[in-house]
Amino acid sequence: MVAVGTIEKILMAGERQADEVEVYLATGTSVTARLRKREISYALGSEHQALSLRVIRGGRIGVSSTGNPQAWEACLDAALRSAALAAPQEWDGLPGPAENYGDFVNFDENVVPDPDRVREMVRGMEEGACRYPVEIVSGSAEISQYRIVLANSRGLYREERESLVSMGLETIREQSTGYEYETSWKMDIDPGSVGEKAAFLAATSHGGKDIPTGTYDVVLSPDAFGQLMAGSFLPALSGRNVHTGRSRLAHLNGQEVCDPALSFIDDPSNTRGIGSCRWDGEGTPTRTLHLVEKGVLRCFAYDLKTAYQYGCMTTGNAVRSGMGGGIAIGFHCMTLDGPRDEILEKDAIFVHDVVGAHTTNPLTGDFSVELANAYLYRGGNPEYPVRKAMLAGNVFEMLGETGGLSGEEKVVGCCVLPSIRLKNQKIIGN
Amino acid sequence: MAGIRYYDIRHVKGAISHIDIENSRVESAGTTFLDRAVIRVLGPKGWGILTVDRFERPRGKKFEDLLAKASALASLTGEEVALADAPSGMIPVPPKKTDPLAIDLEEKGRLLLMIEKAARIPGITSTRAGYTERYEDVLFEDSCGNEYTYSLVRSGYSILAVAGRGGEMQMGYRRRHALQDFPLDNGQKDGETAARRALALLDAKRPRGGTMNVVLDPELAGVFAHEAVGHASEADLVHEGSSVLRGKIGEQIGSGIVTIVDDPTLPEFGFEPVDAEGSRVERTIIVEKGVLTSYLHSRETLPAVGFGHTGNARAMPGEPPQVRMSNTYITEGDSTTEELIGECREGILLCGSRGGQVDPGRGVFQFNAEYGYLIEHGECRGMVRDVSLSGEILATLHGIELCAKKRKMHAGYCGKGGQTVPVSDGAPHVLVRDAVVGGSGHD
Repeated sequence: MVAVGTIEKILMAGERQADEVEVYLATGTSVTARLRKREISYALGSEHQALSLRVIRGGRIGVSSTGNPQAWEACLDAALRSAALAAPQEWDGLPGPAENYGDFVNFDENVVPDPDRVREMVRGMEEGACRYPVEIVSGSAEISQYRIVLANSRGLYREERESLVSMGLETIREQSTGYEYETSWKMDIDPGSVGEKAAFLAATSHGGKDIPTGTYDVVLSPDAFGQLMAGSFLPALSGRNVHTGRSRLAHLNGQEVCDPALSFIDDPSNTRGIGSCRWDGEGTPTRTLHLVEKGVLRCFAYDLKTAYQYGCMTTGNAVRSGMGGGIAIGFHCMTLDGPRDEILEKDAIFVHDVVGAHTTNPLTGDFSVELANAYLYRGGNPEYPVRKAMLAGNVFEMLGETGGLSGEEKVVGCCVLPSIRLKNQKIIGN
Repeated sequence: MAGIRYYDIRHVKGAISHIDIENSRVESAGTTFLDRAVIRVLGPKGWGILTVDRFERPRGKKFEDLLAKASALASLTGEEVALADAPSGMIPVPPKKTDPLAIDLEEKGRLLLMIEKAARIPGITSTRAGYTERYEDVLFEDSCGNEYTYSLVRSGYSILAVAGRGGEMQMGYRRRHALQDFPLDNGQKDGETAARRALALLDAKRPRGGTMNVVLDPELAGVFAHEAVGHASEADLVHEGSSVLRGKIGEQIGSGIVTIVDDPTLPEFGFEPVDAEGSRVERTIIVEKGVLTSYLHSRETLPAVGFGHTGNARAMPGEPPQVRMSNTYITEGDSTTEELIGECREGILLCGSRGGQVDPGRGVFQFNAEYGYLIEHGECRGMVRDVSLSGEILATLHGIELCAKKRKMHAGYCGKGGQTVPVSDGAPHVLVRDAVVGGSGHD
């Protein structure tokens, strides 16, 4: 544990050499159990520390981070050296202190990294998987807890605590695979249902048939939809990509960019989101951001650096990520609003997962992916699994004509998403 | 110590530096200092593992307490893990050709700006150049008395150029990474290449998808070897039952023209002087003339699965080792590239890689080319974009008809089980019959 005194020392030393200093310190512990077939092959305990520093001098921003907070002086030197290399920009100050930071938003004190608890979770998934005739390939369960301190030379000092539970299971039946996972900041995941779903997918995808190439309505699960959004649509909403010429949405503010039935909202108060927060990664208060409202693009997301640089306002979308806890524009809890319907009532191909979504063209949104765990639905029921097919199209264009959202939603990374029905999609079959 | 059959400690210290330039401005430069260790204890059944930041190797009672902590975690396990004996010993680290650590940050920034400037030709609306450098000092010890220490540095750059015209945008991308060298001082040509490719892609068509003959360039054929065969040959996946290559040693799984090798001893981007379990590294012939010959193994998978040797365990700093590829390639054939395209007759030439993914249990892979050319009457014609190749691993391997004479290796990164490691993939040009090409174009 790094003492508060150390943070003060870093701030004092930094202020002697820079206009402003920011200190971000994260410490955490976690326990993981990994299943191979039906036995736990390893149990892992982790102790994590990360110190991330930012200095601003004459509008030049320098960054550095370390896994050894005791060695902060080398880290501060590196941040100052990198500031000297950076181009100067407009800079109007880090956020100051707030009167009341409120309660922690995604912290459950019952989420304790306890080895017996992860063993129960793994056993629970295993029992759930027994309900279908499949083999378990592998699985894992993890419980983590983090303590985060953010402080800066303008007097901001904020402490945050976060908890995270995640578990996943992979199963196989001959050559049909199924994978399911769940993530939450609360101890509210039912391991049995995770295991059962993973087994259901492998069991019911077995014995698939080919479908002819053609145009179909496609229903994407939250996982498949989230994967396709992540590579091109979400980055296009980042102010940095807009102003640097890497966003297809850059000149479309105020225009229709998708089906008027849809709204994209970053909602940091969403109680399910694992990234929900009252304050962003640099201390700016967060707010609900209506990025797309009934199909019309309303705004982009900003952090302080991009906002100051381009004469805009921060939207509180600075997100910390990676080993070093560096800042980039991101979303706290992206959600989708639109008409909820029985989206599998009419004929469609339901796609649980896709292979290759990360190879989407990040600028244009063009993609082609293999379908995984896909089913042809007729009359509201799954008629047969699809053996092998590809979905090809464009992420921005596929949102142009949709047919409703499911009532159920799932936590998928920084999003909480429903399933979505897309009309007239190109499927390459056999 | 009672209840502990084996232990090892892998401690990695070092630093990762980056410079990020956008539209001729140095937007960001920084350093992340690393100090992470992974301590593994093999109990009566399976592993207890600790991962720690800021590791100071304890001695005496404190060391026993550390092992006891890991041993307590091992008591959760049920799988009976057996470890193969493995030849020990480290091979020499290739000497540095140019040492990136000896070059100051300002000079690196200046060189990167030159590459970025070379990409700013008429028609280019946005550019982004990045430099990354990673050095690691690795210390390994185990309960058998083996101790290794070595240092490695990897560095590289990437340049992205965006061409825009009439509301359309396309990007060209080049990257070069190297082991024990500094490629940044020779990269301006890549800046211009990325820009010209972006401009050309504005006029390229999206092809109609379907089954057709395909020629893969060395970069994409290397990704194919990695995604379609390499992952499925990782023995941990075979052991778990999620590899379509399980039980197929000795079988003809592909055409007789195909030999696929993984070699961590090559001084390429995936090089390791010793594996993450302290086992000696060596070359593996995974597929020889179409016959599955060997899996890639760790000390844990070899007794469980057989067919091969140890030396393929790799890990990120502070993470437990997994079976990983290193430098994976399809060996050269006898044909010229022109012969391949002539033999293809009607089809598509696919070039460059935007990455790929595999489901080894199902036996299905997918990867995306950066660009390509239609092949008509045995010659390359119009440029195409956003075209992918996917298929069933075994069917596609049987469809490989010709390999060209000249192999090239490309550096990259591979993700598995939450860990990313540096790798290289390589191949000559390869002709594949009846491959499934994905494209969203229409006739």
